[in-house]
Amino acid sequence: MTATRFLDPTVLARIGNLELLARTVVDGFINGLHHSPYFGLSVDFAEHRPYMPGDDIRRVDWRVFGRTDRFYVKEFEADTNANFVVLLDVSGSMRYGSGPVSKLDYGRFLAACLSYFSRRQRDRVGIATFTDRVVDFVPASAKHLDIVLHTIDRAEAKGAGSLEAPLLTLTEVLNRRSILVLLSDLYEEPDVVMHAVARLRARGHDVIVFHLLDPAEIAFPFDEAAPFQDLETGERIPVVPETLRDEYRAQMRAHLTAVADRMARNQVDYGLFETSRPLDYALFEYLSRRERLSRVR
Amino acid sequence: MSFTFLAPLFLFGALAIAIPVFVHLTHRERKEAMLFPSLMFLRRVPYRTVRRQRIRNWLLFLLRTLAILLLVAAFARPFVDRASLATTVVGDSREIVILLDRSASMAYGDRWDRGVGAAREVVDGLRAEDRATLVLFADRADALTQPTNDQATLGAVLSEARPLSVGTRYAPAVQLARDLLDASELPNREVVLITDFQRVGWSADAALRMPEGTVVTPVDLSAADAANVAVSGVQLDRTGSDGSRLVVTARITAATGDSATQIGATLEIEGQVVATRQVVVPAGNAVTTMFAPVQLPSRKVVGRVRIEADALPHDDVFGFTVEPRAEVPLLILHHPNARPGELLYLRQALAIGTTPPFGLEIAPATAIPPNGFDDRAAVVLYDAPFPRGVAGRRLRDFVESGGGLFVVLGPRSGEAAWSPEAATLLGDSPGPTVDRDTRRGGTLSVLDYRHPLFESFGAARGVDFSSARFFRYRRWTPPEDAVVLARFDDGAPALVELTAGEGRVLVWTAGAANIWSDLPLHPVFLPFVHELARYVATYRESPPWHVAGTVLDLAGDLPLRNWGASGTVFGPEPGELIVETPSGSRSALDGGTGYRLELQEHGFYAIRSADAGPATQLAVNPEPAESDLGTVEPDLITAAIAPTEGGGGSRVAQLAATLTPAEKERRQALWWYVLMAVLLLLFTEAVVAGRRSGAFMKPRSAEARDATAVR
Repeated sequence: MTATRFLDPTVLARIGNLELLARTVVDGFINGLHHSPYFGLSVDFAEHRPYMPGDDIRRVDWRVFGRTDRFYVKEFEADTNANFVVLLDVSGSMRYGSGPVSKLDYGRFLAACLSYFSRRQRDRVGIATFTDRVVDFVPASAKHLDIVLHTIDRAEAKGAGSLEAPLLTLTEVLNRRSILVLLSDLYEEPDVVMHAVARLRARGHDVIVFHLLDPAEIAFPFDEAAPFQDLETGERIPVVPETLRDEYRAQMRAHLTAVADRMARNQVDYGLFETSRPLDYALFEYLSRRERLSRVR
Repeated sequence: MSFTFLAPLFLFGALAIAIPVFVHLTHRERKEAMLFPSLMFLRRVPYRTVRRQRIRNWLLFLLRTLAILLLVAAFARPFVDRASLATTVVGDSREIVILLDRSASMAYGDRWDRGVGAAREVVDGLRAEDRATLVLFADRADALTQPTNDQATLGAVLSEARPLSVGTRYAPAVQLARDLLDASELPNREVVLITDFQRVGWSADAALRMPEGTVVTPVDLSAADAANVAVSGVQLDRTGSDGSRLVVTARITAATGDSATQIGATLEIEGQVVATRQVVVPAGNAVTTMFAPVQLPSRKVVGRVRIEADALPHDDVFGFTVEPRAEVPLLILHHPNARPGELLYLRQALAIGTTPPFGLEIAPATAIPPNGFDDRAAVVLYDAPFPRGVAGRRLRDFVESGGGLFVVLGPRSGEAAWSPEAATLLGDSPGPTVDRDTRRGGTLSVLDYRHPLFESFGAARGVDFSSARFFRYRRWTPPEDAVVLARFDDGAPALVELTAGEGRVLVWTAGAANIWSDLPLHPVFLPFVHELARYVATYRESPPWHVAGTVLDLAGDLPLRNWGASGTVFGPEPGELIVETPSGSRSALDGGTGYRLELQEHGFYAIRSADAGPATQLAVNPEPAESDLGTVEPDLITAAIAPTEGGGGSRVAQLAATLTPAEKERRQALWWYVLMAVLLLLFTEAVVAGRRSGAFMKPRSAEARDATAVR
C-alpha cells in the first residue's frame, strides 16, 4: 500500500483513531517528500546548543564534538515554537457529504493532520470549533495535542452557522500571534467572510483559509426533482435541478470567485478543497504557506 | 391476412402506453427531501414549476412502452392465419391405424410372425407427436388400444396377440379404421393393412372409403404357391336299430394348390385312433371319405378327423361330439271309446322319427294317473276330453312348468269335453263343426312361415300344404293372446299357439285321421307332425360342432335333458360356469355376463359348473372358408378403401381451413412467447431503472466532476 493510498479520504474514514490517522498521514506524507525540492524548508540550520539529557543523540553534531570535544545539538529554523490553532466550522452544513466522507470528516482529518504535523514542528497547537458561536476552544499549548485530537474527534456538525460572531470572539481570545487555519464551507456573503477574517488578520495572526466543499455542492449533479432541505435551518424548497443547475453553478462560481478575490486582496491564504481530493493536496498547500511565512519572517 | 388476433378488443389496451408517456413527460417529485448544506444559492434562483417537456430516459421509455404493447398483444391472443403455414398451425403429426389380420389363415407358415414384425416396424417408427391404434381383426375388428404414442403398450399388445380360428372379413376392420380416423384431429392419417388378402374375406360391396387424405399402406403376407389341404366337414350318421353305430364321413378339401395331394385321414374317437384312410385330393377340389361304422357307448363322446399336418394346422383336425341317442317322451291321450285305427297316422308318423326319435305312450285320457305326466316332453290330447280333477290340475301344472300340450280337436271335442281346467288353460270351449264342400273341401290358405314351426317349410320344394283338403273342422275362437299360425280359406283358425306359464300349447282344429281331411295322405304330413312334436316338446338339438366365431348363450343353448323342466345341462340355475378353452385358459361366466361365450379357438371347450360335476364339451372348428387361401390383389382393396382423389387440397390445408380461429390460436399459443418477451422486457426495465435511480443520487466520478465543476 502506498502512502498516497493512505491519503485517500475514503480510506482514512475507516480509521477511528485520529492520532493514528494523523501520524499515518503525516509520516507517509513526509516520507513521500524525501525527494521533494521543498525538503529543506523546515530543517534549515539555525544554531548549536549544548546537549541536554533527553535530546535525541542522533541530533548530536559529531563534527563539533570532534573539534571541541563537547556535545552540541543542531537547532533548525523549523523548530521554532509558534502557536498553531485550527478554527473548525462545525455548523450543520458541514455534515453534508455526497460520498462516504462528509465535509466535517474531511475537516477533522485535515485538522488532526495539521495539528500533528505542527506539533512535530514543535509548535503549540490549539483548536476552536464553532457554529454561530464558539463551541469548543482549546488554547494553544505544547501539551494539548491529545486534547486537540479529542476535541476534533467529538466534534459534531449541527446548528446554524455564522463566521462573524465566533471569529470576533476568537479575536478577543487569541492574544498571541498565531497561525490560524480556518476550515469552513464559508456559506456567507464574501464580504461578511472577509470582514470576519480581516479582523483576525488585523490582530497579527497568520490566517490560512481552507474552503471545504463537497463535489456535489459545486457540480450540482442532481437529476430528480425533490424538495431540498437546508441542513442548518431545516428550510425546504422544491427544486427541479435540471432547470436550476446552470444558474446554481453560476451562483457558486461567482461566490467562489468573490471569496478568492477578497482573500487575495487582503493577503489571506486561501485554498478551495473538494472532499474527494487526497489530503496531501491540503498538506502540500499548508506547507507552501508555511514556507512563505518562514521566508517572510 | 397472415397475422390476426383472436380477441382484438383487447387492443384498446394499447392506449395504456399513455402511462409511460405521462410518467416520462410529467414532473415527478421525490417525496423525501434532499438534504443540502445550504439553500443560499438556490434561494436566489426564481422558483419555477417546470413540467418536463422532453423524454429523458429514452431506453426506459421504449422498454416500458414496448412491454405494454406486447402485453396488450398477448391478451389479444395473436395467431398466424396463412395457408403456407398450415403445417405449422396443425402440425405434422400422424394418426396411424394398424390393421392386423388375426384370422385362422394367418396361422399359415410364418405369416403371423411376419405380420407382427411389420406391425412392430410401424410402432417403432412412431414419432413423439404421432399416435397409433392397434386393431386386430378377423370376422370382426377390435381396437386393442386407444390411440397412443406409447410404444411399450403397443408392443406389449402385439406380444400377447395370437391368431384366432375365425374367418376373415375386411369390412368391420375398414369401418373401425374409418371411425378412428374420422374421430382424429391429427393432420395426417395412415392405415397400415397387414393381412394375407384372403379372397373370401373381401366383398367389394362393403367397400368403405377412408377419410380424405388417408394414406393406405398394404402389407401383403400372402404367398403365391400356398397349398393347403383341410378337413372341411364331417357327416355323422347313426346306423343300427338303436342308432348305436356311428358312421363318419369326412370331407377333405384342397382349395388351393397346383397338384393333387395324397394324404392320410384318421378318425379318432375318445382320443383313440379307430380308422385310417388314404385319400387323393385333386387340386382345387374336394373328396369325401367314409370311415367304417363305430360302436358308440351310451354317453357323450368326442371325436376327431385328422389329416397329416401342413403349413396351416388349424384346419387339419375336425372335432365333433356325439350325444347319446335319447327319445323325446310323448304321452298320447285318446278318448276311451276311440277306435283302434284312429291314431294310426299320428302314431306311425311319430314312430318313424329319428332326429330325434319319439318315445310314445298311448293311454285313455280317463285312465291317466296324477303322476302320469312326469318326465314327459309333451302330451298329445287326441280328440279326448280334457282330464278332470287331480289329473286335470296336474296336466295344467305340467304345462305351466314348461311342458308341451298338443290338442287335436275332433268329433268328441265338443263342449262336454271341456273341463274347468281346460277352460283355464285354453279359454272358451270349441264350437260346432264346420262342413265344407264334400268334393272340393277347404284348404289351408294362410300359414305363418316366419314361425319356427313352419320356417322349414317356407323354402322347401315339394312340400305343399295347399293340396290338402279339409272337409270338416271344428270352429273354435281362441283367446285374445293366442297366436293363429294357420287358417283355413274361410278364415277359421286351423292351428293356434297359446302360452301357459313356461309351456307351449298347440291346438289343431281338424283332427288327425284321414276322416276330416286328407292331410295324412300327403307327403307334408310326416314332416309337419315331426315339426309339431319337436316344437311342442321344446326340443333343441345339440349341434355336434360349432364354427369358430360363434357366440353361444350357454344358458339357452345347452338344453336340459330332463324333460318337463327348464334350465341347462347344469340344472335350472346354472350358477357360475367355468370355461376352459382349447389353449388351456380358464374364465368364469355367470348371470352377470349373460352366459355368453365367444368361440374364438378351435378344439374342444370344456364347460362345467363351479359346483363341480362333470364337464360338458363343445367341439369348435375353424371357419371352413379360411382353408381357401386364394387371395385378392392388394391393389384392389387398397384402391377400394383409399380416399378419392382431389377434393379440396391437402388434408393439412383442409384441416387448417376447418380450424376455428380459437383452435388455431390455441395450437400456436403465440401469446405465451409474447408474455415471455414481456417478462424479459420488464426484467430489463427493472435493472435499467434500478441503475438509473442509483445514479441519480450518487456523485459523479472525479473525471466527470472535474469536467463540469466550477474551479
